[in-house]
This record gives sequence, structure tokens and C-alpha cells, in this order.
Amino acid sequence: MLLNFNSLGIWKWALLTITVLTAAFLLMPILFIAALSFGSSQWLIFPPPSWTLKWYGALLSDPRWLEAAWTSFRIALIVTFFSVLIGLVASFGLVRGRFMGRSTLRALFMTPMILPVVVLAVALYAFFLRIGLNGTTTGFVIAHLIVALPFSILALTGALEGFDKSIEDAAVLCGASPLRAKLQITLPCISHGLFSAAIFSFLTSWDEVVLAIFMASPTLQTLPVKIWATLRQDLTPVIAAASTLLIIVTVLLMLIAAAVKKGLKA
Amino acid sequence: MTPFLQITGIAKQYGPVMAVKDVNLTVDHGEFMTFLGPSGSGKSTTLYILAGFEQPTRGDILLNGKTILDTPSHKRNIGMVFQRYTLFPHLSVGENIAFPLKVRGWSKAAITERVRQMLSLVRLEGFEDRKPVAMSGGQQQRVALARALAYDPPVLLMDEPLSALDKKLREEIQHEIRRIHQQTEVTILYVTHDQEEALRLSDRIAVFSKGVIDQIGTGQQLYNDPSTRFVAEFIGDSNFIDTDVVSVNGRFARLALANGAVIDGVPTHGTDFRQGRASLLLRPERIDLRLGKSEGVLPGAVREITFLGNHVQVSVDTQLAAPVDVRLPFGHAALGGLAPGLDVSLDFKIAETHAFQLEDRVPAS
Ligand SMILES: Nc1ncnc2c1ncn2[C@@H]1O[C@H](COP(=O)(O)OP(=O)(O)OP(=O)(O)O)[C@@H](O)[C@H]1O
Ligand SMILES: [Mg+2]
Repeated sequence: MLLNFNSLGIWKWALLTITVLTAAFLLMPILFIAALSFGSSQWLIFPPPSWTLKWYGALLSDPRWLEAAWTSFRIALIVTFFSVLIGLVASFGLVRGRFMGRSTLRALFMTPMILPVVVLAVALYAFFLRIGLNGTTTGFVIAHLIVALPFSILALTGALEGFDKSIEDAAVLCGASPLRAKLQITLPCISHGLFSAAIFSFLTSWDEVVLAIFMASPTLQTLPVKIWATLRQDLTPVIAAASTLLIIVTVLLMLIAAAVKKGLKA
Repeated sequence: MTPFLQITGIAKQYGPVMAVKDVNLTVDHGEFMTFLGPSGSGKSTTLYILAGFEQPTRGDILLNGKTILDTPSHKRNIGMVFQRYTLFPHLSVGENIAFPLKVRGWSKAAITERVRQMLSLVRLEGFEDRKPVAMSGGQQQRVALARALAYDPPVLLMDEPLSALDKKLREEIQHEIRRIHQQTEVTILYVTHDQEEALRLSDRIAVFSKGVIDQIGTGQQLYNDPSTRFVAEFIGDSNFIDTDVVSVNGRFARLALANGAVIDGVPTHGTDFRQGRASLLLRPERIDLRLGKSEGVLPGAVREITFLGNHVQVSVDTQLAAPVDVRLPFGHAALGGLAPGLDVSLDFKIAETHAFQLEDRVPAS
């Protein structure tokens, strides 16, 4: 190793300080909002005069918030399902296929990642307006699928490339049809890729707000849209509570993903 | 009688590359046939065509007289052990061996019994519940062998199954493979580029070179009577000496060496040597060495002496272009007084030499 952390002397402390400050900088807004959600002040005073759970009570007893959360969850689940399914088929084509323009196609699949989301949102909005998909679950799912697929394809092409096709060939020679060999042998071998694809697809949809704002209707809102809409009407700590719940689900899934990755390496 | 397995005129083209040009081969039932050849000579491609992973550009493969080319891989009922480890990592050893049987719809009891039999065949009793990751490379390949043989395939393909193992383990498993072959009487097509492995295992060897088979025969036939310079170079050690062809008489030639000596009756395999030059093969271990200048065919001087365990390699400068290597068994009479610079003379039996076309060059391997 070129740079040995322990032999850096005084620089070791400088590095450590910078790292801690960076982490604090990144985490500050999250901690701030979490603290506010437990504060008693109606006006989001910081630091809070005293602590309370009443905003969570208000949140969980308001059917409109619950419905938004359920909508978010439902859409994220459907997106996850299709994202993994389509991502899997596409990845087999991209990794195993022998055709012209394979690498171009692969790059093309990644464009939603770099394209400004708002451009995509406007385009989809205009298009869905014509075919009547705005404000529908289908519209939501398609919009989120477009931004979730690159993550899914990235995870699955990576897993498939790391998988030795000879193992699948061996299963076929054992008498399993090519489809059966893929289902019973290849899929279990790339389960970590399937899992990453699922979690990242879910999260992409779960906390996506730009496309959701364009797709939403007064009767169909996801949690981020509801937070955004409520924020524009009045500033209540219920928003902080909702945000905190949103973050908790995200962090939980990230932790599970990390644990699975670690479990696979061990 | 129809031959058991017949490969006729197989060719395979990948874009501009002819991986296999024209392979013809007949294999008997129960035979151990090895494909031996340098990297890129088309051994694996031929095997993959047999397995059905590749379709040949030309040619046919007949098993018991019937083509297998229109049968998809999973219905060919062929066994295969791969170069890389291909056990299913999420299944235990027992489940791996059971997989082809489950696919074939065997009953639970029959599968349990068969798995037990196969584990005992490869001497891995008690490993049933192990996961592949918890096993050594040699053990994994033995399980792979058990899995491939579990359903009694008529043909077993093996593509360099031992190349990832170290030498000692390799020899151990070679013995196992030989024993299992004798026990099961399965027909084996085995790919390797290790001549020692080929000689140790095979009934017959097919020597591959640039997409064709140069010669098929037992190890002894290939060594004693190579049909091309390539085969001679690939099996055993060799000296090649450029000579002028004086005359050709049937399957024998009269050759003039660069030092003026003329030898008659050199076996030629019917080559006509149109360009008037030939390459003479002398096996280092078939050359006799005597001390002192004499009227022998090849007088020379010792250049270098290398001790190699059970034999000694002596490099001799003659009046020919390159030094000639001689291999003397340990304890040979001439070894006592041998030292670099001494005059010696070399002799050999003409019947044990061969003359090949000059341009029959060997590709770097
Ligand atoms: N899928 C492929 N696409 C293009 N060329 C290929 C393909 N498979 C093999 N080849 C080429 O065909 C030739 C023969 O390959 P093959 O794998 O049969 O050789 P081999 O005798 O098994 O060599 P090795 O000892 O290295 O395994 C090589 O030149 C190789 O590059
Ligand atoms: Mg090969």
C-alpha cells in the first residue's frame, strides 16, 4: 500500500477530522429533520423545547398520509417486480448475446441515469396526457420503471458476467432444458445480483419525487409527493415525521443490502 | 458393423477463424481416446460440437450409426467434465450428483442409492452433505465426474479436467480416472495438451494440429512411427537435421547429411520430397554415443553435459547446423570419461529414424 494510514503521523488526525466533518455534513439534514419530528414545537423550533411522539400519532391516524404511504409502497413493489424481470431478460441478452451494437445498446440502457429527470418527466407527462395514463398507477409504474431499470441492469449484468457459464452448460448436459438450467442453477447463483437489483429498484421508486409530482393526481399521491404538497400549504412537524419514516425504510433496506453483500463474501 | 462413434469431416468456422478444419475420427465402444495438441488446435471446439454447444459448419457425428447433430444438448445424454469447476455452488455434493437423476424423473429411493454408488465410485463416501466451496479442486473434479457418470452416458467428454491441479494431485486423479474407466467401461473422449497425461491414460491418441488430426494411434505407434514432423515433435523429444535427398525408393529414402555422410533406407511415409530436401528425425534416447573419433556416422565434440536425474543429456557439436542432443541412461558406459570438448562419435539405427517434409514446421505452442 502506498499510503499507510498508521504511518501518516499528524496527517492521520487531519484526515480523520475531514472524514468526520464530511460525514456530519452529509448526515446533518437527516439528523435535523429526525430531531424536529420528535420536538414539541409546532413551529419547528430548533433545538426543540421538549420531546414528544404526538406528530407520529397525528401522521399515523391521518388516512391521507397512510394512503400516500401505501401508494408509495405498492408502486415501488410493482416497479421492483418488473424492473428485476425485464432487467434479467435484458441482461441475459446483453451479456450472452453475440450481435452487432451490443455495447451501444448497453450504453443506451444507462441513459436514464444521466438524463435530467425533469426532462424525462416533462416528456412522459406530455406523452401520457395523450394516452390518458397521467394520475394512474400504470403511469407511475412506467415512469419509475424507466429510472429503476438502469440500476437493475447494472446489478444483473455484473452478476451474470461474474457467473461461469460452464456451470449452466453442465446443467444442460445433465439433461436440464436451457430454461430449467437457468431457473434452477443460474438464478440461485446470481441471487445476490437479483437482490441488489430488487432493493435498488424499490428504493429508486420509493423516494423518487420529480417524476411522481408530474404523474400524481389529487387522488393518487406517493409519500414524497404528499410531503411536497403538504409543505407548500403549511409547515407542520407531521412532515418531519413522515420524512423520518421515509428515511428509516430507505436506511433499513440499504442495511439489508449491505448485510447480504457481506454475507456473500464471507 | 457400424462403428460406435464416428466423426466425419467436421469443420467449425468462427467469422474468419477456422477453429476446426476437417476432423475425421472413429471411436470404439469403451475406448479411452485422447485429443492431444497445442493451444488453439481445435480440441475443445471438437468436444463442444459433440456436446451440442456448437453446431459444426460442415460434417456429421454419428452415434451407433445415427446422427446426433439434430438432438439438442440436454437430450444427447452425454456426460462432460469441464476444465473449470462446474459444481452447482448452492447445492450439496449429494444434490449435485442427484441433479441429472431428478431431471430424468428417478424415484427418491433410486436417486439415494445411485448417489451412494457414485460417491463410492469416486471414493468420496461421507461427503454427501458438503458444499462445493468446502472441497479441494481435486475433490470437486471427482464429484463432477460422479455427476457426469451418474446417468450412465454412452460417452463421457473431459476437457482438460486436471489442468488446474498441481502435478502430484494430477497423477493421483489420473489413476482414479483410469480405474473408473475400467470399472464403468464408458467411452471417454479426453482433451489435454500434456503428452505425459495422454500417454498415461489413453488407449489411443489423436494428435491435433491447426484444426485437423495429424495422426491417430496408440502412444507407442505415435512415438515409433510418427507420420508428420509435428507429431514427432509433440510426442517424445527430438532432434531434426536438415538433409539433401539423394534418391527415394518406395517408402525409403537415401539422404546426404551436411557432413558428407550418406544414409540409406530412411523411412519416409511415402513422402516424395519434391524440393530435394528432408528433415531427419533422431530421438535423443535412440542415439548411441562412443568416446573417441571413429568411423561412426556423426563424429563430433561434447558441448555440454546436463544431469537430469535418471538420465544424462549430452549436447554434441557436429558438422551439422545445430548441436545434436543425446540422452544416455544413468550408468551408461561412456559417461565415466565424458567431459566437454572431448571427441565422440554418434551412431543410430537407420530403421528408427524418419524423414519428413522440410516445410512441415511446428507452430509455436
Ligand atoms: N467462440 C469462439 N469465437 C471465436 N473464435 C473461437 C471461439 N472458440 C474458439 N475459437 C478459436 O478457435 C480456435 C480453436 O480453439 P479451441 O478452444 O478449440 O482450441 P483448443 O485446442 O481447445 O486450445 P486450448 O488448449 O487452448 O484449450 C482458436 O484459435 C480459438 O481462438
Ligand atoms: Mg481447450
